[in-house]
Amino acid sequence: MAHHKTPETSSGEQKVFSYLAEYSTPHALVEACKAVRDAGYKKWDAYSPFPVHGIDPAMGIRPTILPWLVLGAGLTGMLLGLVMQVALNGFEYPWIISGKPLMSIPAFVPVAFETTILLSALTAFGGCLVLNKLPDLYNPLFKKKRFAKATDDKFFISIESDDKLFDEHKTKTLLERTHPTVVEAVEDDRHVNAALPKGIIYGLLIATFVSFVPMARIALARYSKSPDAPLNLVTNMDYQEKYKTQQSTAFFSDHRTMRPPIPGTVSQDDLALDDHLSRGVRAGTNDEFVADFPPQFQVSAAAMHRGKERFEIYCAPCHGQAGYGDGMVARRAEELSEGTWVPPTSLHDAPLADKPVGYFYNVISNGVRNMPGYASQIPEMDRWAIALYIRALQRSDAGSVEDVPSNQRGALK
Amino acid sequence: MSAVSHAEMMRDNTIDDPTQRAPLLTDDSSFGDVTQAVAGVAEAKPPIGWLLGFGVAACGALMLVSCIGWLIWMGVGVWGNMTPVAWAWDITNFVFWVGIGHAGTLISAVLFLMRQKWRMSINRFAEAMTIFAVICAAIFPGIHVGRAWLAYWLFPIPNQMQMWPQFRSPLLWDVFAVGTYATTSIVFWYFGMIPDLATLRDRAKSKVAKIGYAIFALGWTGSARHWHRYERAYLLLAGLATPLVLSVHSVVSFDFAVAQLPGWHTTIFPPYFVAGAIFSGFAMVNTLAIPARAIFKLEHLITMRHLENMNKVILATGMMVGYAYAMEFFTAWYSGNPQEVFAFTNRAFGPYWWAYWTMVSCNVISPQFFWFKKLRTSIPVMFVLCIFVNIGMWFERFVITVTSLHRDALPSSWAYYQPTHIDIMMLIGSFGLFFTLFFLFLKFLPIIAIAEMKTVMPQAHAHGDHHGGPATAAHAHTAGSH
Amino acid sequence: MSGPTLALLPKDNYDFSGPGKKLMLGAGIVGLLALGGAAALGFSAGDDLGRFLHAYLVGFYFVLTLALGCLFFVTIQYLFRAGWSVTVRRLAELGAGTLPVLAIFALPIIVSVAMGNHELYAWTDHAQVEQSHLLHHKAPYLNVPFFLIRCAVYFTVWAVLSWFYLSSSTKQDGSGDPKLTRRMEIVSAPGTILFALTLTFASIDFIMSLAPTWFSTMIGVYFFAGACTSSLAFLILFAMALQNSGRMVNVLNTEHYHDLGKLLFGFVFFWSYICFSQFMLIWYANIPEETEFYLHRFQGPWLYFSWFLLLGHWAFPMAGLLSRHVKRNRKALAFFSVWLLIMHFVDIAWYVLPAVNMHGDHGIPFGPMEVLCGVGMTGIFLAVVGFLGSRRSLVPLKDPRVSEALTFENI
Repeated sequence: MAHHKTPETSSGEQKVFSYLAEYSTPHALVEACKAVRDAGYKKWDAYSPFPVHGIDPAMGIRPTILPWLVLGAGLTGMLLGLVMQVALNGFEYPWIISGKPLMSIPAFVPVAFETTILLSALTAFGGCLVLNKLPDLYNPLFKKKRFAKATDDKFFISIESDDKLFDEHKTKTLLERTHPTVVEAVEDDRHVNAALPKGIIYGLLIATFVSFVPMARIALARYSKSPDAPLNLVTNMDYQEKYKTQQSTAFFSDHRTMRPPIPGTVSQDDLALDDHLSRGVRAGTNDEFVADFPPQFQVSAAAMHRGKERFEIYCAPCHGQAGYGDGMVARRAEELSEGTWVPPTSLHDAPLADKPVGYFYNVISNGVRNMPGYASQIPEMDRWAIALYIRALQRSDAGSVEDVPSNQRGALK
Repeated sequence: MSAVSHAEMMRDNTIDDPTQRAPLLTDDSSFGDVTQAVAGVAEAKPPIGWLLGFGVAACGALMLVSCIGWLIWMGVGVWGNMTPVAWAWDITNFVFWVGIGHAGTLISAVLFLMRQKWRMSINRFAEAMTIFAVICAAIFPGIHVGRAWLAYWLFPIPNQMQMWPQFRSPLLWDVFAVGTYATTSIVFWYFGMIPDLATLRDRAKSKVAKIGYAIFALGWTGSARHWHRYERAYLLLAGLATPLVLSVHSVVSFDFAVAQLPGWHTTIFPPYFVAGAIFSGFAMVNTLAIPARAIFKLEHLITMRHLENMNKVILATGMMVGYAYAMEFFTAWYSGNPQEVFAFTNRAFGPYWWAYWTMVSCNVISPQFFWFKKLRTSIPVMFVLCIFVNIGMWFERFVITVTSLHRDALPSSWAYYQPTHIDIMMLIGSFGLFFTLFFLFLKFLPIIAIAEMKTVMPQAHAHGDHHGGPATAAHAHTAGSH
Repeated sequence: MSGPTLALLPKDNYDFSGPGKKLMLGAGIVGLLALGGAAALGFSAGDDLGRFLHAYLVGFYFVLTLALGCLFFVTIQYLFRAGWSVTVRRLAELGAGTLPVLAIFALPIIVSVAMGNHELYAWTDHAQVEQSHLLHHKAPYLNVPFFLIRCAVYFTVWAVLSWFYLSSSTKQDGSGDPKLTRRMEIVSAPGTILFALTLTFASIDFIMSLAPTWFSTMIGVYFFAGACTSSLAFLILFAMALQNSGRMVNVLNTEHYHDLGKLLFGFVFFWSYICFSQFMLIWYANIPEETEFYLHRFQGPWLYFSWFLLLGHWAFPMAGLLSRHVKRNRKALAFFSVWLLIMHFVDIAWYVLPAVNMHGDHGIPFGPMEVLCGVGMTGIFLAVVGFLGSRRSLVPLKDPRVSEALTFENI
């Protein structure tokens, strides 16, 4: 960026920005630096095509604070990395994956390490530039043709006129005594307005604002509703070339995609002859649900444990651990409130609390409303065990003080 | 007392004479000569070889882009991946390119910390290679997820499903590790280049080039006060990049090793992957440097000693990789776990035996030739061997990924993976992209660190009294100081 | 050749003959007494020497890895043609020179195995091998005769390598022949490979087979990291002690300590990296045959021991050694060197001691016997170092690269 400085002299004569001395070896430069340092100058600098060994003490440069900035950035990065992971996986989105605890510190180490390095490295880079006051694309020294050699094979010292000790004659003499190849004055042209043309600046500003438009559109779309179907750029996952259950086809003469059983065969499911055990209904009635468990099923503590375990695997994600219909999926769906969700029924409320046990067995097997059937995933005995556990849950909710053995009622307080 | 004269050393700087340090430049160049030699490459009209190479590489890059487009349009079914080989060439290519990307930072950072001055001639090369290799690498995990346009789900950005990434998954560690590595490598590369960009700016003849280089040189003047902070920042970046190199390829190895799959789950994976990455990276640097130094006449800057040193590193890391192969086999037997034993016998003698033995012969046997000085200082021999190493390291990743998967715990699902033509075109195309970027780098940027190179020259030493005897005392001194 | 040399160095600057002998006697007597005390405690415990053998193994392996780290330091300096380290290299050569003597001190372990004591290694017990399918499977490797052969190979390789370097380097003190340097450089490449293989299999045999059903491919690298850390700490302390007694005054300066400190920091980081990688992979995959190892170390008081190891070998020294001011400050660097030597001992104890059969008691078998074994073996080590040091100069006087070591500066 250009310096905007009003000229200090109103006359047309050129002001001196600095005296520039050129040297041809790094050795000469270091010796000259010592002389300038000892003369007490403050606003001066040496320029070389590569870092010259031993120039820091020769110029009296003090160690930079950069390492401390980087250390601070590293610690910040580590903390941010850990906080991010703990907050997102431990609280915001608590989801058990492969049996690992929600806050798995060993698993958080790699990412925390990377954020440490990332922030430190960016600080080392950015900090160096900021401390060096770069980028600074304009410098009066660049006007000197000779100075282009500062990045090639020549060495320079420039003593600036802003320095308190600066005196055109004395400074020039001092530099001439340090065996330079040449000493010359650098004109001060910092008062010349070197700003970019207005057109370019306005153009850049407009372009910046325009670039925000797509982002703004996306942000708006996130919080508004539209009756239009969503844009679907890549459709291969949504519309697949396959038949679904109730579609028709020209391939078969009966136009059904679902094929009926081959004549003379019996489905394995149809072998379930015991209505009580397999369907939860009383044989001989109009499919009236049974109120008791089938004789093959032993009501026992072991069955209760099995039922609890199966319930927590298959039912709890929607119905909740205690059966109030407040499982993770249900809560998530409610939070999203998309309007398509039918909340799971609480097992403790009126319509369900009084249902016979066969009803529960039937719902687990075949589903109800938008709850799918679980017959293919849960074997018969486990379904009965879940029904048993549901009974226990209902009982626990409807319990009264009388249900507690009299000698333990004191503990309830 | 020195057994070898200075002149002899300048002719052949691979002579090992304990009484003196070999010169790192094999002529008596001045500072100006070095500037001219390097900057001249970027300023001159590109040689015909460059135009041809760039043309071919750009075609390859175009092929990659078209393949990616086809893949996104059709889905990952265009690859040969299937059950049980769900990870195949995509992940092989990813790990291969990430590995190549490691030598850059290693040469830059680790050798810098160890005061290995010979790195100065090759570090810019190697850093550029790192960045282009990481770009090639990052493509593959991005597209193998199937719906590449949702790749932003990998980052912790609030999304419409109110879900967050799973930080307990090594695949997410990968996102952070490779992302950090790419960022830090670009910063390190660019930061090191600022003074050299200023050199190009000051030499530029055309207005466009001058403005272009001036913007990226950030107004660098070579001020001693700037150099002071610059050197400190460079040291810090090197110090940070070194553990980063370790961590990135370790995280890549975690992708495999945290699983319970025999052949993937073994504790030596992290250091073994790092050694393999350095191995393949150095081989790639040599593969690139050998033609480049010939085309651009830089033999006096990238000397035979540089190449020989890299060959020694290749030999050493090749032995480490061999050590890891041997330990895996020994432990597979020692564990007494029949699944482990099967996985490794299947690797060596199962349907993919050819891949395994290609890997062993390229990675373990071929570097052994570097024990002989005649062979490790012969350009044709080392060029061929380095290409073998590149091939071998690609096969190593193929062996780990595919042969461990294709016969899993369920024999009924065993299968033999074969790549489709899209798989093959994408691998070739990724080389095209890599070389396209590399050719652009060769043409437009300073391909050797000009400023750093000057610091290792005998004249760079500020004490005038060492002039005249550059091969002995001054060299001994510069080799031990900065 | 130009550049500074050691030609004008006063003799008392590198002469160790008097104090070396004193060190040999003093440390030797303390060492033998401590080992004798530990053995007395062990024989009176009435547990078939079970606890004593484990304690002895901790002390022995501590010193063995220390000496092996010194050997690696020497070979790697030659492999890299390093100049900066020449003036500290002799100290590492002395440390490595103890390896032939340590072969003798391996005898209590080797003899007890050969004599059929099954307290240390379950795989030596035929009854257990017959019962366990896994031990039966491993018997072709884990059997007594093959174990003895392997031990002979390890100690031969180590003794030959360490003596080759110590004697060649000493010879150069007289002749100043650069060809000796060349020869040592040439040997260093195969030497490093032999070192890697022997250290790996020695760690499998002595340490990993304490829990014969457990396995980790990382084990060799793990003990390599520990060996390097402890040997660097030893070199720093040894050099400081010599300088405090008025020796090696113009030969070593802050730059050398800074470099050794950087390496020490580097290997603390490397150890942590290896340690974490091994733990994380086993923790994550959660396969019973592997987690068994960590399970023992996370139960009861062992959990606190594990935390101590983690914080003491990683967090504390890593944070402490980060700053260049610490590495250039002698007192601070000496403190961390002592600390890391102790932590290396703790590290080996953490590997070995959970294998002690505590007969139902879940306490940590870390008491006077373990401390006496550590002190005893360290005494023996120092006595041998003193003996070797008393017979040669403390710096390689005529090494062709000595001028580099005298003049280098850090960035």
